[in-house]
Amino acid sequence: MRVTGNYFSQAFVNQVNSLSGRQQRLQNEISTGQRISAPEDDPAAVQRTLDLQANQKAVTQYGNNIATLQTRVTSSFNAITAVKTVSDRAGEIATLADGTRSPDDLKTYATEVTQMIKQAVQSMNGKDGDSYLFGGTQTNQPPFVMTTDADGNVTGVTYQGNSSVADKEIASGVTVTADVPGANTSGTGAHGVITDSRTGADFFNHLISLQNHLLAGDSSAVQTTDAPALRSDENNLISQISNNGGVQTQLETAQTSNTKNSTDLTQMVSTQADADITDTIVQLNQAQYAYQAALQSGAGIMQKSLLDYLP
Amino acid sequence: MGARSLQAQQTAVEVAGQNLANVNNPAYARQRVQIQTSTTVQTTLGQQGTGVQVTAIQQVRNALLDNQVTGEMSVGGYWNSQQSGLQSAQVGLGEYIDSTSGTATSTDGATSGIADDLSGLFSAFQGVATSPESLTQRQLLMSNAQTLASRLNQTSANLADVKTTLNQSLDGNVKDANQLLSDIAGLNKSIADAEAPGGSQANDLRDLRQSKLESLSNLINFTSSTGDNGAVNITVDGNQLVSDSSVTDTLQSYDAGGGQMLIRTATGGTPLNLTGGQMKGTIDARDGALATLQSGLDTLASQLITQVNAVHGAGYGMNGTTGAKFFNGSDASDISVNSALVSDPSLVQAAGAPGASGDNSVALALAQLADAPQAGLGNQTFSESYDQTVAGLGYALNNANTQVTDSGKVQDMLSQQRDSVSGVSIDEEMTNLIGFQKAYAASAKLITTIDTMLDTVLNMKV
Repeated sequence: MRVTGNYFSQAFVNQVNSLSGRQQRLQNEISTGQRISAPEDDPAAVQRTLDLQANQKAVTQYGNNIATLQTRVTSSFNAITAVKTVSDRAGEIATLADGTRSPDDLKTYATEVTQMIKQAVQSMNGKDGDSYLFGGTQTNQPPFVMTTDADGNVTGVTYQGNSSVADKEIASGVTVTADVPGANTSGTGAHGVITDSRTGADFFNHLISLQNHLLAGDSSAVQTTDAPALRSDENNLISQISNNGGVQTQLETAQTSNTKNSTDLTQMVSTQADADITDTIVQLNQAQYAYQAALQSGAGIMQKSLLDYLP
Repeated sequence: MGARSLQAQQTAVEVAGQNLANVNNPAYARQRVQIQTSTTVQTTLGQQGTGVQVTAIQQVRNALLDNQVTGEMSVGGYWNSQQSGLQSAQVGLGEYIDSTSGTATSTDGATSGIADDLSGLFSAFQGVATSPESLTQRQLLMSNAQTLASRLNQTSANLADVKTTLNQSLDGNVKDANQLLSDIAGLNKSIADAEAPGGSQANDLRDLRQSKLESLSNLINFTSSTGDNGAVNITVDGNQLVSDSSVTDTLQSYDAGGGQMLIRTATGGTPLNLTGGQMKGTIDARDGALATLQSGLDTLASQLITQVNAVHGAGYGMNGTTGAKFFNGSDASDISVNSALVSDPSLVQAAGAPGASGDNSVALALAQLADAPQAGLGNQTFSESYDQTVAGLGYALNNANTQVTDSGKVQDMLSQQRDSVSGVSIDEEMTNLIGFQKAYAASAKLITTIDTMLDTVLNMKV
């Protein structure tokens, strides 16, 4: 084959261009650590990576949701246990206030009960951020409103929330009901913490009744009416605490699987998008050798012609 | 005889000089002197030679290779213009993979493309669903929604710019092609004149015409036929554009409606059915992958507007307001977030019932749109549909890249083959030069010898 000046230089330039293009691509892969960047690089992998990254973002958001709910459920737990402590002491007082106590003793107990009601209302009006914990979906106002008479005795506690609660999503298609309403007299849905028509709980009214009986020195009414009523309230609170524990366990399980999911997705994105650094470096070295060899041999050949040897 | 030989060798040296001078001219085909013995004379001893004469200066060309190169130019032109059009579209889309971006929290605001923004919107809906009474979450939702809307607007504008640029390049191509047509017709005339009976082959004019034909083929695929007088006639899609030395019709770009610039001849009204060349590549890139990309984005945006508004409209804001739109607009070019919601995020209708600020049922339904297959998007989710749109462009560009490489290789191979026939080799010309120089010296020696012989004769003393 006849090889001419143009032929040789063109072939040389093409070869060197292709080798430097290859070096540039490999160098770029090593410096970014990514095999693909633009859609043209590997359309199928780009599509899968974008899909996976959308999943990743969703999983991150579910993780945020879980963390938010954990804080909220812990706040609820603390509030309910505080009310439970009140319930325990109220039960004690109901037992202690029998016929052997003097009216003055009973009045002292009544004062303590009044304080306890105020304390329990305060706990039940607890907030998580801007949001009241026990108002159902009515979270922008204190769920319980207390009225007192001139002597400071509690005359009534009314619930101004509702009985519906919001479902929150903690994984794709998985929702959890983290909240409980303060009162539910509808007979359906989540049980109320203080008042619930199904368990017969009506803690605040029972406490007020206890307070009033003690004030009136009616120890037999305390024994016959208030003590059993308070026991059913206590049972309701215990079931609330165990229910809350169940939600916490559910959130923890969701968090564990969320973390695992996130790790898996990171690995899958990496499989699609990341460069195999070792392999890429080896390829780059090969390309560099070829480039050097092409330059060296090409430069040697191109310099020589018959002209160099003519006298 | 000596003088004729001197003349012949000198011509040969000049041709070698011309070859050497054009060694780097890619359009040039090397030339050769045709030498033959001059007419013999009849003597009593028989036929006696009278030396040498130059009969022609010929160029070394292979018509088959020339045609193949011309044909391949239109394939190369087609894919090159597709590649550059789609690359602009890819830049306009601005969707690049950053494998670290997914691990960052979606609420950090730094996003890299529409895919990211889309996930950001749905994450923000989740955020509002989890804390429906939080104004911070609502503000974040507004900010993410605005980012998505403005990114869609920006991308849509970028792609519209790419389309305009492609149309402009079509206009430029038409101007260039018309210039080439008139050049070729002019060269046809010059060549016919120079090669008129009795004339010799117009080597340099033919070189020039061949390079013009290749440039034209790069722009538009044509069929050509050679006339008896050496003229090249050019036909595109059955319309004769160059006949002999005249341009019979020219190309014209026109708006076929809706900004679709197409190519027709000046006298014919219908668009030409092009088969290759840059013009066809530009049109295919514009009406193919770019149009698909644009309509994919518009469908995505309009579905997003419809679906989000349908769910959002039925909800209630923190103060019991209802019926407000979330997004305004109808497609990617004009999608925007309802400005009333932006200025007061408490109006975002997250609740399913009035007056219950802790109710999140509508926000949750909005968040769950992320995973819901949309009938309007071929039963894909928003993300899947967008990712497929991106991949569609990727496939088209990837294919164009491969084709450009392939056709480049074929072009290289053909032009190397042609170079091996027509190209100038310095070594070869130098060798010829030395040969002709030696022959020239020898012919001069012949003249000196005869001169000496004549002197001898004249100085003879009787």
